[in-house]
Amino acid sequence: MQLTKGKEKETHILNIVLTALAVGSLGLAGYVLATGKFKGGTDDVFLIMVCLLAALLFAIVPFMWAYEQGYVAQFLDVGDESEAAAAHAHGDADHEHGITNKQNLVVWGALLGLTAIEVFLAYIQLNLTLMLIIVMGLSIIKAALIMAYFMHLKFERMSFVLTIVPALVVLLCLFAIFFPDSFRLNELR
Amino acid sequence: MAEVSVRDVATDAATGEWSGGTFPYRVGHRKLGMWLFIMSDSLTFTALLIGYSYVRVASDTWPKPFQFSPSIVFSSLMTLVLLSSSLTMVMAVMAANRRKKRSARRWIIATMILGSTFIALHAYEWKHLIEDEGVTPAGNQFLIKRTYNDSGNLIAEGTVHIEPEKAAEMEMETVDEAGHTVRYVQADRMFGAAFFGITGLHMFHVLTGVLYLGVIAARIKKFTSEDVEVSGLYWHFVDLVWMFVFPLIYLLSVDFTPH
Repeated sequence: MQLTKGKEKETHILNIVLTALAVGSLGLAGYVLATGKFKGGTDDVFLIMVCLLAALLFAIVPFMWAYEQGYVAQFLDVGDESEAAAAHAHGDADHEHGITNKQNLVVWGALLGLTAIEVFLAYIQLNLTLMLIIVMGLSIIKAALIMAYFMHLKFERMSFVLTIVPALVVLLCLFAIFFPDSFRLNELR
Repeated sequence: MAEVSVRDVATDAATGEWSGGTFPYRVGHRKLGMWLFIMSDSLTFTALLIGYSYVRVASDTWPKPFQFSPSIVFSSLMTLVLLSSSLTMVMAVMAANRRKKRSARRWIIATMILGSTFIALHAYEWKHLIEDEGVTPAGNQFLIKRTYNDSGNLIAEGTVHIEPEKAAEMEMETVDEAGHTVRYVQADRMFGAAFFGITGLHMFHVLTGVLYLGVIAARIKKFTSEDVEVSGLYWHFVDLVWMFVFPLIYLLSVDFTPH
């Protein structure tokens, strides 16, 4: 994103406002967590999830800006990343996308490990609410791993990723919206 | 052929990430089409899973017919098979990208074998549920057994399978050896519909995937590496859906009462 001079100021204001909103949402989530301590049951969980989601959504634009300006790369200067970037630059012609066999095996191992954790959690018999939250969380991580590495989404253009991923995020939000009501129905019985 | 020209256009016309140009996503139309299909298909699965989770959580008589061993161990094995098939599919796509079509074909066939194994294991599980446990889309033969102590608090809950003829004769409220009151209630009849509906649709996707990969493997010389990659996308999506179906359907319906 090449910024023209005139828009720089607006971009900074937008980033400041959005960062403030993101921090505010995070703070609200923390406040609900600290004062409520899950006494409200699923309502608290729902409120916290919505706050975290709002924080994430608000944070996307400032984060993208920081990413474009190269601040994130400076901050997270891990060897692996630059290697992948180098492989991307050189190996573009043979369509390799910088992914290696080893990475695939690591992702596969991680997916198996997360599945093992889920099965273990089922074995030690958690209550339904906790189990649902953990299992959905782990499944989302697994889905993200599959999409990023196996489905190559990590190596596609950011514009493409931002076209696909929000639709899937909305689907997960729909899950979160319906759960409190079904818990309420259960408690009414 | 198409790939080379497509990449050149992308680098010439659109240098910036957001400048668009003639090729804004830098993916071929087949790949874009498959991604759009995946998005619409995930809507279908999400609708089913939301409907299922809603009735699952709202119901207090949901049957838990899966014992940890063998059912959960069995379905974990199915998960392992499906995850491994994703790995072999990744290998196939990598081989195809390196123009090694023979190797790609072998990896695709390995994926098809693993996919077929998944279908076979799943079909066996269905057979067990239908024939031994009497689950149908409209009903089941499970009763929820609840044990209450003297002050009327629930101390134990479990799912028991009782044939309808026996269930008609037995007393729905009895007292066990320890003197606790035991009550039986019919388990939620939605279980069969949810289980067969969701796993059935998923199994149909796996079957379609195996056929799709079969076509790609049989005529791999005529297909480009992008075609292999697109079929890989579909296969990974089927795997991804199972990552939600397995915990939501199986892990939330585990019975821990000793039998």
